This record gives sequence, structure tokens and C-alpha cells, in this order.
Amino acid sequence: MSEEKAAPASGTILVVGGGISGLTTALEAAEVGYEVFLVEKNPYLGGRVAQLNQYFPKLCPPTCGLEINFRRIKDNPKIQVLTMAEVERVEGKPGDYTVAVKVHPRYVNENCTCCGACAEACRTEIPSEFDFGMKTVKAAYLPFAMAFPARYVIDPRILGTEDAARVKEACRYDAVDLEMQPKSLRLNVGAVVWATGWVPYDAKKIDNLGFGRHKNILTNMMMERLAALNGPTAGAIVRPSDGKPPASVAFVQCAGSRDENHLAYCSYICCMASLKQATYVREKCPEAEIYIFYIDLRAPGYRYERFYDRIKQDPRVHFIKGKVAKVSEDPKTGDLTVVAENAVTGEKIEQTVGLVVLATGMQPTASVHKPPAAVRTTPEGFILNAPEAGLFAAGCAAKPADVVSSNQNATGMALKAIQTVVRR
Amino acid sequence: MTERLVVEPDLDFIREVGILGGEDLKKCYQCATCSVVCPISPQNKPFPRKEMIAASWGLKERLVQSADPWLCHNCGDCNTRCPRQAKPGDVLAAIRARAVEEYAAPRALARAMNTPAMLPVLLLVPAVYLVVMGFLMEKIFGARFLNFSPEGAIVHAKMVSTWLVDVVMLSAAAFAVAVFARGVSRFLGDIHRNALAEGKTAKEAIDSAGFLQALLRTIPVILRHAKFNECTENRARAVSHMLVLLSFIGLFIVTSIFFVAIYVFQQHGPYSQLNPVKWLANVSGVALIVGSILLIRQRLAKPDQKSVYKDWLLLGLVLGLGVTGMGAQLTRLAGWAGVSYAVYFIHLMLVWFTFAYLPFSKLAHLVYRTVAMAYAEYAERR
Repeated sequence: MSEEKAAPASGTILVVGGGISGLTTALEAAEVGYEVFLVEKNPYLGGRVAQLNQYFPKLCPPTCGLEINFRRIKDNPKIQVLTMAEVERVEGKPGDYTVAVKVHPRYVNENCTCCGACAEACRTEIPSEFDFGMKTVKAAYLPFAMAFPARYVIDPRILGTEDAARVKEACRYDAVDLEMQPKSLRLNVGAVVWATGWVPYDAKKIDNLGFGRHKNILTNMMMERLAALNGPTAGAIVRPSDGKPPASVAFVQCAGSRDENHLAYCSYICCMASLKQATYVREKCPEAEIYIFYIDLRAPGYRYERFYDRIKQDPRVHFIKGKVAKVSEDPKTGDLTVVAENAVTGEKIEQTVGLVVLATGMQPTASVHKPPAAVRTTPEGFILNAPEAGLFAAGCAAKPADVVSSNQNATGMALKAIQTVVRR
Repeated sequence: MTERLVVEPDLDFIREVGILGGEDLKKCYQCATCSVVCPISPQNKPFPRKEMIAASWGLKERLVQSADPWLCHNCGDCNTRCPRQAKPGDVLAAIRARAVEEYAAPRALARAMNTPAMLPVLLLVPAVYLVVMGFLMEKIFGARFLNFSPEGAIVHAKMVSTWLVDVVMLSAAAFAVAVFARGVSRFLGDIHRNALAEGKTAKEAIDSAGFLQALLRTIPVILRHAKFNECTENRARAVSHMLVLLSFIGLFIVTSIFFVAIYVFQQHGPYSQLNPVKWLANVSGVALIVGSILLIRQRLAKPDQKSVYKDWLLLGLVLGLGVTGMGAQLTRLAGWAGVSYAVYFIHLMLVWFTFAYLPFSKLAHLVYRTVAMAYAEYAERR
């Protein structure tokens, strides 16, 4: 065959998104010797996983695994991490892409020691996005205790105010640089892996479930933050309305998933997430009764099945086959009444509980921010691999997935990217 | 849960439900959102989730012999919220159409009412019947009852004599009443057995006095459209439907009064426009036209609702009744003799069509839904 196998113009791999999938792809590729750019739009790496309290089914803290990955990145000169950075354009062909990246100013340079003096000096408080607005943080903040890069961020909203001056004044290491400007970079890479992940589906859109109208309704991701020791309540599961532990909790499965009016597909992880969160409630509010309302419970694989079996043994966890379609609030007590039909007995159930957790699903980030490249997506916004181009999708950018499958998939995508840059 | 159920699916029934508008039935995955969002579904054994599974399993008896599909007013809240777009409301409507067929005799006539190709035949029947009866009565009584070339001032009775109209219409009505009598007695027995079997009532038997009282309590609920008004998605339709129902009642009153006027007081029409009974007639006629046009528009504006032949036939018929009724009068007042007589003749055909085919058409809900609602009231199903 006379097919030409010209050496690629660039042997570098771009990974877009620094969540668990992006970290994995970047590390797997770098550790076999390829140059990698890892671009992350947040000021920290770790993505959604960083927000979790525990992994299922082992119930271990994700920070443990993240820390190992951060260590690997620190030690690996082949990975260049760009945080607060967004890919603006990808042009070219496999082996030779030109990528425009915009890096937003952090206003804190590498001198930062995380001493926290800037935050102490700052008086402005902003809602914490990391904690889904359940608490406020200072406008000079460390995104979370384990954040990598371990460096403070200054919110641009205080620029030009007295607070900005106070923050600069407070820093003894000359780390605050209020003159920092956005930077535009041009990267030359051979392949791109999109690991742009997911956003929690906006629960306000499921208007019959009352999220946003009633205080004591949380999403499952908010529940993760609530249960986390570094979360807004230092790990106490309490009701937003009165700060008291709930006497009972209802989990509403398929809140917006498997629903053609919202997300038509199964988000894969919500059943396991609710089973896991039931263990949070059992641990932190041992007296609370737990009601899990479901269409069908999906616990794929023997490990998850075993986990489900274990939770089923718990006499305080009640499973009701029937989707919650109505939620109302008693304005005096803040208690909520969820309504479902038990499809096994054919009775309508009106269960009054202290706290409701909506098991909201995963919406691909790419459906909100279309990748600025010639990638194809499913109608739902999941990115399809385009091996003929050098463009791939890893983890939840490709399909709803748990961390294990995301990592397996991300490893595979590292290989796909390597194949593209070596032209084999 | 130890109870064993051997499912014997009636595949024809599943297919028929599909044809009658329930074609998305099998998309249902039994989440039961429908039963919860339905504003009028009872607490115990709510619908339509259980109907959805029974229909996809082809359990015909559980559906056509149940009162529950008739308690549904097809307001569409379930269709809107259904995560699978399985359209439970349309499935229940299809089940009702199938139940009408089940309780109608002869069954062939009910099937013809659901078959578009049979419409010309069904429309021709009253014309033939009227002409044949006119001919027979002429032979028997030796007088003319039909005259297709009337002269002088327009009086519709000159073409079709009042005697002939009444013989033709009353015989159609008597037929409908007989069919309903048989159908309803079977229906009532069936829905009670079904309610007992499914644990929907504590009443062992139907006592007539109690049932009649329940019926009397139900009629104001129907007249006020109290149940219909609980719907959220399709509330506008309740107003149009009420217009149509009230205009039918108004026209029934008008007809009864004129019947007495003719046979007791020997006063023949056409009646003066100043006559208050005439006012009621005209108000009802306009309400019928307006109501049916609104219903048609509301149906057209709801693409998520399945509209099939049975729906358009009824709406077309109701609009046709109103338009030809008012049309015959207006053309008479305008002095357009030919047009007026022709329109009047069509009007008569449509009236007969309505009466005679009542137990076989979607309009049979007038009787079955009333009975089912009265039964639910009697059975204390809430």
C-alpha cells in the first residue's frame, strides 16, 4: 500500500476538562510519554467528583483518589495544566490541530501559600458555587480544602472596590496581582479528548416536584455537599428551613430522567447515588425513616446489586415502586408531602417527610456549551467519537456513567488519542 | 403477592385499542405519574396506570367492564406529564369507545360507527327510512306525508309532515332507549362485579333506592361540570363542552314544549320569533354551534392529543346539527325556499342519526359516564 503516513505535525494531546475522566486520560497518556495539555474551566481540578462525599459502593471519600491523581500530575512534567481556561476554537486535522484557548485571570499568582490572609481581609461574600449556593464564601477563596492547584482565587466582582485593596494589602507573599489580564493561547496538538462531563439537570424545570419553591427539597448533588465534612454544614444532614435533622427523608428517583419532557435517557448513577445517600442518612440521622420512590431500581453489576441487597435489609429504608409526581409543602412546619401510586398495591401514597431529595440526572455539558469543534453529538448532547478525525469523548461527555466506567472509558480514549498522534 | 395471575392476552383487543386512538399504549413503563397527576383519580386503585398495564396485557374484561375509564374526563393532564408520551388519556378514550361497542346491540352497527367507510351508508339509512315510512303511511292512512315540491310560504312541515317526523324520530328514540336499557343493565352489573373483584367498593350489592339517590346527587355534578373543571391542562374545553351539553338540554326542552303545543293545543309551527320558547331554541342553537366550533378548535390545537375518527364524527355531527338547524330557520326567514327545504331535510337526517345511533357512538358517554359516575358515588369511590 502506498498510503502516506506522514509524521503528525504535533504529538501532543489536548484533554478538555479536568474532572475524573480528563485527569485519567491526561495521566494515562502522559505516563506513557506523550505531551498533554489539560484544560479546565474551573479554578481547580477534580470536577464533579470533588463535590462528592463518598463513592459508591465502597463508601470511601473521593478526595483520596483525587489526591493520588494530583500527586501524579505534580510529578509529571509532560502534563501542562491550564485552569480557568476555556477552549475557544479547534481547527485543523488529525495530527495537526490549532487550538485557541482563553485563560481567565485568577488574580493570584504562584507565590500563594494558601495562608488565607486574603480571605480573612475580604469582607464581600459570594454564594459558593461549589456548594450549590448553600453557603457563602469570601470573594477571595480557596475553592475547597483539597483544591489543586492549591492556590486562592479572587472573584472579579470585587475588582476596583476597597475589598480588592484590602485583599492585596493582606497578602504578605506578593501573590495577589489585580492587574492580571486574560490570556489567549494557541496550542498545536495532534488529538483532542473531550472530557467535558455533565451538569446536574436543572431541577426547577421539573415544576411538579417543587424544587426552588419549597425549602426542604434538595437535589442529590446538594445532598453530597450537605453530607460532606467540608460542606456547608460540616457534614450535618439538616433541613435548610430550620437547620434541624429531618425525621424522615424521601428520595425521588428519575427526577427528570427517563422523561421525554426532560432528559429522555436513564442517567445511570442516580439509583446507586440514592442508595448511597440512604447510608449517609442512616449514619447521621439514625432515627430517620427513609422512603425511596422509584420506577425500577437500577443497580447494574454484581457489586452494585450486592450494595442494593444490603440497603434493602435495613428496616428503616422503605422502597416504593411508583414515581413521585406531586410534592406539596406545609408552610408551618416546612414538611413535605410526596404523592405517588404504589404500582404493586394500587394505592395512592401520600407520605409526609421532613426532607426530599430529588435524584436529578446528568445533562451533558456539551448540550449547554457546544464544543467549538467539528464534533458530532447525539440529540441529547453526548459527544460521539470521531476516530476519522482525532476527536474523542471520555466519561460523562460520551454517556451517563459512574466513576469506574468513566475511568475505564477515559483510559481507552487515551489510547485512541495516542493512536491518532502516532498515526498507526 | 402469592396470588397467581395467568395472563390470557386478548390480542385483538390490544389492536382495537390502538386503532381507536390508544396506539402509544405500549410506550408505558408503569411509573404511575398519570395516576398521581390526574386531579379526579380516586385514592384507592387510582386510574389510569392500572388501565395502561391491563390494556397492554390485553385484559379486556378488566377494562370494558370497569367504571373507571368512564370516570376519566379526558382532560389530558396525564398526557402532558407522561414521561413516555404514552398518552394514557387517549388510551382510556379508546377503551371507552371499545366498551360502547361491547354493550351495544347489534354489535355490527357499533363497529360501523367506528369505520369511516360505513359513514355514507349510515347517513343514507335515515333518508331511506323517512321516504319508505312516508310511502307506507300514505298507503295506510291515505294522506300525503311527504311532498318534495311544496309551494307557497315556506313551512317545513309542508315537505315532511309533523306526523311523519314524529313517527320516524320517536321510533329511532325508542330503539335507542331499548338498546341502552339492555346495555346499561349489563354494564351496571359488570362494573359492580369488577369493583368488588378489585376491592374498589365496600357495597355488597346495588340497592336501587341508594343508586337512584346517588344518581340524583351526580346530575348536578355533571351539569356544573364539577369534575371536568378539576382538570388543569384542558380546562377551556370544559366550558365548550358545557355549552354543547346545555344547548342539547335546551333543545330537548324546546322540542318537548312544541310537541305538547302541537298535540295538546293544536298549534303548528313555524312559531313567532317573539315566542320565549323560540328564544330558548335560538340561544341553544347558537350555543351548539359556538360550543362545537370551540371543541373542534381545541382539539386541533392539541397535537399531543390523539384525535381519531370517532372524535371527529361526533364533533362533525354536533356542528352539523347546529348549522343545519339554524340554517333551515334562517333560510326560511330569508325566503330561500329550495335551500331551506334541502337544509331542513339534512337536519332531519342528522337528528335521526343522532337519536338512532346514540348507543353506538361516542355520544353514548352521555349515558355510560352518567351511570359510571352515579355508581362511583354510590360505591363511595373517592
